[in-house]
Amino acid sequence: MDNLEAARATMAFSLGFHIIFASVGMTMPFLMSAAHWLYLKRGDEIYLELTKTWMKGVAILFAVGAVSGTVLSFELGLLWPGFMEHAGAIIGMPFSWEGTAFFIEAIAIGLFLYGWDRMNRWAHWATGLVVGISGFMSGIFVVAANAWMNAPAGFDWIDGVAHNVDPVAAMFNRAWLHQSLHMQLAAVQAIGFAVGGIHAWLLLRGKAPALNRKAFRIAMTFGAIAAILQPFAGHFAGQKVAQHQPAKLAAMEGHFETGTRAPLYIGGLPNVEERRMEWGIPLPGMLSFIAHDDFDAEVIGLDQFPEEDWPNVMIVHVAFQIMVGIGMAMAGLGVLYFWFQRRARFPRWFLWTLVAFIPMGVIAIEAGWIVTEVGRQPWIIYNIMRTADAVTPVPGMVYHFYLFLALYLSLAGATAWLLRRQVIAMQLKFGDRDD
Amino acid sequence: MIDVLIFFIGASLLLYVLLGGSDYGAGIIELLPAGAKREPQKKIINYAMGPVWEANHMWLILVVVILFMGFPRIFTTLMVYLHLPMLALLGGIVVRGAAFTFRHYDAVQEPRSQRIYTVIFGLSSLWTAFWLGVIAASLNRGLIDPAATSVWTAYVAPWWGWYPVAVGAFVVCIFVFLAAIFLIGETTEPELRRRFTRQAIAGNALVIMSGGGVFLASLAEKDNLFAEFLREPLLLGVLAVATGLCAALWRFIGQGHTLLMRTVAAGQVTLILVGWLLLYAPNALTTVDGAVTFYHAAAPPATLRQLLIALGVGSVFIFPSLYVLFRVFKINRHGGTKPAA
Repeated sequence: MDNLEAARATMAFSLGFHIIFASVGMTMPFLMSAAHWLYLKRGDEIYLELTKTWMKGVAILFAVGAVSGTVLSFELGLLWPGFMEHAGAIIGMPFSWEGTAFFIEAIAIGLFLYGWDRMNRWAHWATGLVVGISGFMSGIFVVAANAWMNAPAGFDWIDGVAHNVDPVAAMFNRAWLHQSLHMQLAAVQAIGFAVGGIHAWLLLRGKAPALNRKAFRIAMTFGAIAAILQPFAGHFAGQKVAQHQPAKLAAMEGHFETGTRAPLYIGGLPNVEERRMEWGIPLPGMLSFIAHDDFDAEVIGLDQFPEEDWPNVMIVHVAFQIMVGIGMAMAGLGVLYFWFQRRARFPRWFLWTLVAFIPMGVIAIEAGWIVTEVGRQPWIIYNIMRTADAVTPVPGMVYHFYLFLALYLSLAGATAWLLRRQVIAMQLKFGDRDD
Repeated sequence: MIDVLIFFIGASLLLYVLLGGSDYGAGIIELLPAGAKREPQKKIINYAMGPVWEANHMWLILVVVILFMGFPRIFTTLMVYLHLPMLALLGGIVVRGAAFTFRHYDAVQEPRSQRIYTVIFGLSSLWTAFWLGVIAASLNRGLIDPAATSVWTAYVAPWWGWYPVAVGAFVVCIFVFLAAIFLIGETTEPELRRRFTRQAIAGNALVIMSGGGVFLASLAEKDNLFAEFLREPLLLGVLAVATGLCAALWRFIGQGHTLLMRTVAAGQVTLILVGWLLLYAPNALTTVDGAVTFYHAAAPPATLRQLLIALGVGSVFIFPSLYVLFRVFKINRHGGTKPAA
């Protein structure tokens, strides 16, 4: 690994790690607040137990999310000083708002976690909601900063220096809306399904059915709504990418040659050397339609770009297919959820399918993140600055990578072990109680 | 505008040292042998830190955000030439945050795993506090060399030497001192109070000694602190007041007056930090080519304006919520600490 590869691997790993915990931090507080609200309204103690059970998970995952987020704020400079030197002043604004939102979140979580019996119960409930809202806002701000790298705005780039910096225009760049919409829905969808799946598993094993049934319904309601909305948000995002980053769209779809009535491939692998798709099922005209609402529209292919400006077509295409495949399946499961919900009965096969889908939403998030990040390469600021020109001059970044790899893997292992202990403790506590 | 931002950086640093510093110190205190007091001490520390821990950590993030938005050149220079100590700092932040939370929320509270969390939390607190000091010491040594050709001169020399080590030790001592003072008021249990009181007195002595160590170690530096302080009467005054306050501190410790001893200790640490900032103001860092001031390295005015708006709006939300947080958990708690359920 050379320095650039090591820095990219470190960043990819740090972000890929953080994004899971950030998604949990954006979603779980809402599930928790919903359960808490039902408890306060109905006085049913089971909802209180559920709130406290989820709260412990939130506390663990929030802490890991907070420290891994701290790492990222440093890593922007540790790994990409060439980027931050110019971008800091332009795109710092969403980060400053993110910092504010995160500060409020950190205060609110302290109040919520330790504030039982110390505050008015509705005020206490509200602190839990504030955790969710500020976490959600943080997510939007951070994604807006990333969107700027895809759709740079708010400055004039003259001889390698930014002039006429306008941080407001930079923040509200052309990609912020579709990217943050897509990401926020993805977080709710992935975590809603993951939590719903865990409770489906406990239900199948006959553990504390009353509690798990309630938990399952709350989590899946959030997850299913987000999953059903997601294809629309994804389509909206795809059309924007077609307009602003045609090279990324072409890599996503394995679209090598510019042409009208462009086909959409289901599956398939790009053969980059021969510049064609292999084994995919082509749907003629569908790509034109999806990208531009017209079966005969011209879709720009990779042939319009010099090869040194191509992203890695194989990675982007495969990651994109994984994301779309999982997303579509989840949307279908979301519809089924509401169908069974209306009939007030969930067949066992459906619950088992949801158990199988526990990791799927997170896998889709990672795949989507790969699409947007690898798809932007070789640029760190699209069409302005190359990633290779932004990397740190500090040598030996490969050791930095190994260090963080080891650190994060142990952290992930410890977190998984702790969550397992939570679930076991919960089972011991409720036993086979049939409540 | 830049002056306001410098004020925000200074204020955030101060709050980080005072609030976050006590959290570090508490971790270090838990490393000391405690015998039968270990469990009750852990409970007090968990309870005192738990609610405010994340918020206290935010002051550091705030400094980082102000730097990379408002003063990107300073931020990137630090991240390039102090890469290694920053890495050490980050690793420590990750480990101690995780260990502290895991200890509290592990569903199975068994002595062995609890002990492991505690040791990891304590060691990483010590480690991180030390590197904070090293980084602080390295900013203005004048050894950052953007034209350096060897790995050593570029990435090691800026923070290598006895002076950064001495400042690292000084920061560790300050944090232990702050934590002990803070913890006295967190419990009504006489034996624990005595224990924290002893630690506070020892911590106070250690701060004075390690402070002297910083002065001695600076003799090997380009600009030694003795000369700097003699040159500037204001600095001498700050130093004299900070030292003089020790008399008041001992008196309040003797009386067991929580609020007053906290105020005096916080005042002393504030003076130390103010002295340090005055020593170098308005320089943010010093390279071999000379000082880089905040004024030189500032982002365009449009950016600074947005940063100030964010900080202003943020303050409107953050300070009242912080007040609520500290009010609920820290103020008016007559019967002392009830360990969390």
